[in-house]
Amino acid sequence: MTKRIDVHHVTRVEGHGNIVVEISNGKMKECRFEVVETPRFFEAMLLGRPYIEASHITSRICGICSTGHTTASLRASENALRVELSEQVQLLRKLVFHGEILDSHVLHAYMLVAPDFLGVGSVIPLATSHREVVLRALRMKKLAGDLCAAVAGRHTHPIAMTVGGFTHFPSHAELKELRQRLVDSRLDVEATVELFAGLPWPKFERDTEYVSLSKPGEYAFIDGDITSSDGPRIPAERYKEVTNEYLVQHSSAKLTRHLRDTYMVGALARFNNNFAQLHPRAQAAAAKLGMKPKVTNPYLNSAAQVVEIVHCTEDAILLIDQLLSRGIQPEKPAPVHLPEAVSEATGVGVCEVPRGLLIHSYKIGEDGKLTGADCIITTNENIANLEADMRSLVPQIMDKPTEAIRLDLEMLVRAYDPCISCSVHVLKVKSK
Amino acid sequence: MQTSTPDKLDSQDLLVLGIGNPLMGDDGVGNRVIELLAERDLPPNVKIEDAGLPGWGLPAWFEGWSNVILVDAVQMGRSPGSWRRFQTEEVQFVVENDALSLHQPDLACGLALAQALELLPDNLVLYGVEPAVVNPGEALSPAVRHSLPDVVASILNDLEKIKV
Repeated sequence: MTKRIDVHHVTRVEGHGNIVVEISNGKMKECRFEVVETPRFFEAMLLGRPYIEASHITSRICGICSTGHTTASLRASENALRVELSEQVQLLRKLVFHGEILDSHVLHAYMLVAPDFLGVGSVIPLATSHREVVLRALRMKKLAGDLCAAVAGRHTHPIAMTVGGFTHFPSHAELKELRQRLVDSRLDVEATVELFAGLPWPKFERDTEYVSLSKPGEYAFIDGDITSSDGPRIPAERYKEVTNEYLVQHSSAKLTRHLRDTYMVGALARFNNNFAQLHPRAQAAAAKLGMKPKVTNPYLNSAAQVVEIVHCTEDAILLIDQLLSRGIQPEKPAPVHLPEAVSEATGVGVCEVPRGLLIHSYKIGEDGKLTGADCIITTNENIANLEADMRSLVPQIMDKPTEAIRLDLEMLVRAYDPCISCSVHVLKVKSK
Repeated sequence: MQTSTPDKLDSQDLLVLGIGNPLMGDDGVGNRVIELLAERDLPPNVKIEDAGLPGWGLPAWFEGWSNVILVDAVQMGRSPGSWRRFQTEEVQFVVENDALSLHQPDLACGLALAQALELLPDNLVLYGVEPAVVNPGEALSPAVRHSLPDVVASILNDLEKIKV
């Protein structure tokens, strides 16, 4: 008997990916996650463009991680041009970053993951069967978006973030209001933890290498060393020692591998590597969700996102407290130092976007224009690990009816929250 | 060009949302229309926003607005650059399908979710522009560029009808 599962263009992920699995006479014949999206040549668009424009271009690579791409881009330029950020700018960068993590995690957990568990197939019927649940998600998303707008000038695709700082600053009153709304949102956050703690997560374990940023003193989202759960900590500038990009025939994305054949990035990797730095309330939420590191069930990436919803809410309140006690002072962006004639400056920017480690690496010439760009897109790093999970999972579930196998595999893909349209990155760009 | 349905935009405040990705050729038409509107003197009760690719989050944009105009690239099977002004009741949102728009989850998904939650604005108008090219690249096609003055003029005409 042959079971074939072809899920073309997995629904509810941003972009297009195909699951192809064939089981014949109790043996797995095929098992692939294909990326078939048209290649997108974002890196090429950056060449010859002034560094000041790079963050605005790259913010459009992803409709969900626009602040993340902006931040990685700014940090790459700032590191290349030896820009020292003020404490206020660093606090505001962290605050707006939390806004985007909250926005993305809320959408993912409620709109993509919850419908599978609540047996409704998609968020549209969920809106009827569990209207309050979806309205809660939208309420939380609205707050996250308003936080981004107050700090970065726009709900999405930030306009006020620039190399060296910001071109706009929130007022004291705006921050106070946001703080109150964040405090009030604790009820929604607690309800979120309750909801997801009660879900029947699929039982599946596969240990892998977990890769994330880490830094002293805080749960790292911006800057830091690249850390592997298998031990090494590698400075961000040496990211190629971790990513080791390679191509396979069935995917138009570049895959990555480090110490093992595959590694995982994202909320679960951060949770596993940096648990001790989570806010105590987030650690308590993890306990309610039955999680303590090291968690090796990839379905629980979504649960780790719920833990991070708690962390980012609490840390955003603390960041606003710091900003309010310092007093918001509009300031000019910190100065850049362009390279000397006939030379170029190189800089690497790293951050942990909702789906995991994002890396931008730029070369900037004496005229301030980009002569090279390399972007390691988060979802690419996870594709090989997702396929390895599928190859491990399929033999465990192959006796189930085809439809049940299909759902298990779709839920696994959705747990990774792949942004396929962002992930394709086939073009290698070098300066002449 | 094409519009004839009775106008429902008649109350105080209005939000214009541009949808799309300016790095994907004509998918950036919604974002470009917002840039062009930003150069105009707009009534104080009008807000314009570049919403990017809001997907499932679209209903959150509608909160507090009873009048909304959306501008997006829409595949309608017409000649590139042609455009239509839809009232929402004129069209069916085709969910998880590229028929009405170009991203996934696309505008149709966001609208269908808003509809299921009963959060659609009372008065919702969609400007759809037929794209010629949706591939990586920052330029709009000549056909879509050519349509811009008419689309912007029609939206400005909508805005003039609002009582201040």
